[in-house]
Amino acid sequence: MTQLLGQTRELPTRLRASVTQRVEATRQWAHNYRSRTQDGAIAMHGAIFASVFVTFVLFLVASAWTVLPVLAFLVVMGFGWYRYQAEAAKALTFLTTVATVSILSLIIAFLLIRSEPIVAHMGLDVLTRIEQPLWTSNQGGVYSLTPMMVGTAVTTVIATLVAAPIGIAGAVFVSEIAPRRVREVVKPGIELMAGIPSITYGFIGLTILNQYFYEEFRTPTLGTYFAAGLMIGIMALPTVVTVAEDALNAVPESIKSGALAMGSTPWQTTKSVTIPAGLSGVSAGVLLGVGRAMGETMAATVMLTHTKGFPSPVFDVFSNYGETLTTVIAFEGGNASGLHMSALFAGGVVLFAMVMMLSVGSQYVEWRMHQKLGGER
Amino acid sequence: MSSVTRNRLVAGDSTTSVLVARGVLAASALAFFASWLVLFQWVDETALVAGVHVLKLLGVALVAAGVGLTVVGVGSRLEYFESTPSSSAGLPVGFVFGLLWAVLGGLVATRLLGNALAMWLPVAAGFGIVGLLVSVLPREDVGSTLPVAAILVLLGGYVVVGGINAGWTWSPSWSSAVFPGSELVPLLVVFGALLSAWSAAKAREGFGAEGRQSGAYYLVGSVVFAMLGVLALLVAFIVKNGLETMLTRTSLTGGHLTLPFVGSVPWAEFPFLMNQTGGLFVEVPGVLPAVMGTLWLVFGAVLFAVPLGIGAAVFLTEYAERGRFTQVVEVATNGLWSTPSIVFGLFGLAFLVPRISGGNSIFVGQLVLGFMLLPLVLITSREAILAVPDEHRDASAALGVTKWETIRSVVLPAAMPGTITGVILGVGRIAGETAPLLLVFGGSPYPSSYPNVLGSFQFSTQPPFVTNDALLSPASALPYQLYSTITAGVFPKEIFTNTEFGWGTALVLLCVVLGLYAIGVGSRLYFRRKLHHE
Repeated sequence: MTQLLGQTRELPTRLRASVTQRVEATRQWAHNYRSRTQDGAIAMHGAIFASVFVTFVLFLVASAWTVLPVLAFLVVMGFGWYRYQAEAAKALTFLTTVATVSILSLIIAFLLIRSEPIVAHMGLDVLTRIEQPLWTSNQGGVYSLTPMMVGTAVTTVIATLVAAPIGIAGAVFVSEIAPRRVREVVKPGIELMAGIPSITYGFIGLTILNQYFYEEFRTPTLGTYFAAGLMIGIMALPTVVTVAEDALNAVPESIKSGALAMGSTPWQTTKSVTIPAGLSGVSAGVLLGVGRAMGETMAATVMLTHTKGFPSPVFDVFSNYGETLTTVIAFEGGNASGLHMSALFAGGVVLFAMVMMLSVGSQYVEWRMHQKLGGER
Repeated sequence: MSSVTRNRLVAGDSTTSVLVARGVLAASALAFFASWLVLFQWVDETALVAGVHVLKLLGVALVAAGVGLTVVGVGSRLEYFESTPSSSAGLPVGFVFGLLWAVLGGLVATRLLGNALAMWLPVAAGFGIVGLLVSVLPREDVGSTLPVAAILVLLGGYVVVGGINAGWTWSPSWSSAVFPGSELVPLLVVFGALLSAWSAAKAREGFGAEGRQSGAYYLVGSVVFAMLGVLALLVAFIVKNGLETMLTRTSLTGGHLTLPFVGSVPWAEFPFLMNQTGGLFVEVPGVLPAVMGTLWLVFGAVLFAVPLGIGAAVFLTEYAERGRFTQVVEVATNGLWSTPSIVFGLFGLAFLVPRISGGNSIFVGQLVLGFMLLPLVLITSREAILAVPDEHRDASAALGVTKWETIRSVVLPAAMPGTITGVILGVGRIAGETAPLLLVFGGSPYPSSYPNVLGSFQFSTQPPFVTNDALLSPASALPYQLYSTITAGVFPKEIFTNTEFGWGTALVLLCVVLGLYAIGVGSRLYFRRKLHHE
């Protein structure tokens, strides 16, 4: 307790120290910049950043005069490129980097801004409401995202059950088992498969899988969570295989050779050395595949029924209900407005948050793997 | 092991067991393929082969495999056959078998005793424990064959005596679907065949470490084979369905080309690629507007994303110190890379549409696809720049060349191949992207003209001084065309149905995308090989 108090008392001091340090570093940097850069180049930098900033602000307020700062930027840049090429290039590359980061921030900002009305209207109900009506413009507008979240969860689980085991088996096969010649055919082949557009998978699913389940398994409707999840799983397969295979390949050859030299068979090496060592990378691949499956839009949009509701029991994957977060946005986004549109944006926020969590998780896992295996570097 | 060292004095005989194991493998492979044929409905469930129903034949194959496995396992345990088994099959195998046995027990119990939880749960648990003990307690040769053989014989026998036939159905209360025997049997046989192949492959190598390797390789190999088979079938299916539509009225000399001075000469005719989709006077509707739309989209996206991506990559690798800032950029890039495409569409709808065109337009589509392309360009060109050896930079600096000159004339040219590969792969990805286009790009489902972007630039004295109506109006693109064909009602022309036109569009799209991918993958292989040879 006293320790905690002591820490709290120290806090302002520490804060002040870190701020002073930061200020000092900035001053140092500014001094270096000032002494190493010609006056003209500094003026050019100022003009460039000012024109870009004005462009952004004018664009944000949708002014027709946005074109003026753009022209100013081009003129300054052209002149700067002629006089101080190195400084101009540095400023330009810095600007592109900032633009990349700001695109993500803009995405987050605009999703949040546009989903604010529905949250103000319904509160947390937008995520938790399970009573009828779930999705209607009557009664002042009731839009509950819960059935879509359940739908996304169900299809993602099915897709993962399909893609994870088969994908890992594929990765083990390509990286450990296949002879060189087979690998040189199979690996580019799998990468090619990753390129097949999702709408094509959806078309096949619609004409074949949906029909198949409708006729043979007598599902109540054309299009079920199971068929869509199966198709999404097949789509996510190449991603899982490619990333997991990269991870297994990254396990240093010396570790494998050591195991082989101790007299273990190749499979024992794979099972007890390579896979455990590459496990974090493999799980990163699976997480990435799950993220892809979750964000997959077109196949599900084409295949599902767009009926919103909860199957009972929840794991009845052959029910007549079929709507996920992505499909509702794609299907209704074209002609929605007002609260309805805002609800779709809220769906986008939920989707974005879930996928981002998976992405950061897989990056963390991969970083851990580098920490573990990169010891010799 | 060469045959020279084989000692005739050993007690057991190994050739018989290898022969039996091979027989089991062959039976499993046959059953595996036959079941897929039935599942894909290339063979009718009720078809007769040599006077016997197909499903019963599958059952016979399972029973035969089970008997063969019993012979090998028991023979090895009684030392009739030479083998090198471990003392136990191991706990993981035990758990898998326990689980399988529990499922089997549960099914049997629900068939015989009814659907009450209190009835079938104890039976299932009992079966599971027996399966676990039988596979873990005895020596490996018994533990990894008998549990499998029992399952196979029970399952196959039940099918053979007609317990499940094509007309049999199972409608559990938790599911809206009905499971017919005609599909369940082949599915069960697929799993049974995988199991028996694993067990037989183990037995063929005489169990032990060698046997486990052989078993695992067989299992992984068949799973991967099935996966590649399914993927290849998908492509073949699109080609088969789309080819006829795509080649409608195609001829090598049917059309004509007007050349200056010469006049009209015979030329290849390709109506599906060269015609408008809608319009009154079009006999064979084609996908020209969609192809042009895709070209413009890709062109704009590349023009936007490639300079941004390469610039950011140069800054991150050459100028920035590794620290908080580069970490933030990395996380942002990876985040952008994994953001779902539909979210990009929403962003374009909220941010770009009201500020640029007030509605769906090509320009917004180009920008949104550019946003999606950006992280890939950044990641790949960054990797390519990092791969340029530091010696190059040092040598350049030693000659007194400035940093920027070094980047421009040493680093960037060396990194170009990798960057180009990345861009091509990324273009393949965005060319097939549909979801954002639904929200920010798409126009009429059957366009009768293609966007004339080059011809509609107009200059004025009002801001913004340059306008382009074609760029600010909606259009069609290949994936969007496919989507709108699928979802639209009746196709306006009689020559195709909606589905036929869809297959044709899908094939063109597949050719474009896979062509780009093939170029990208090929160029990467080429450059990598070149790099390794140096």
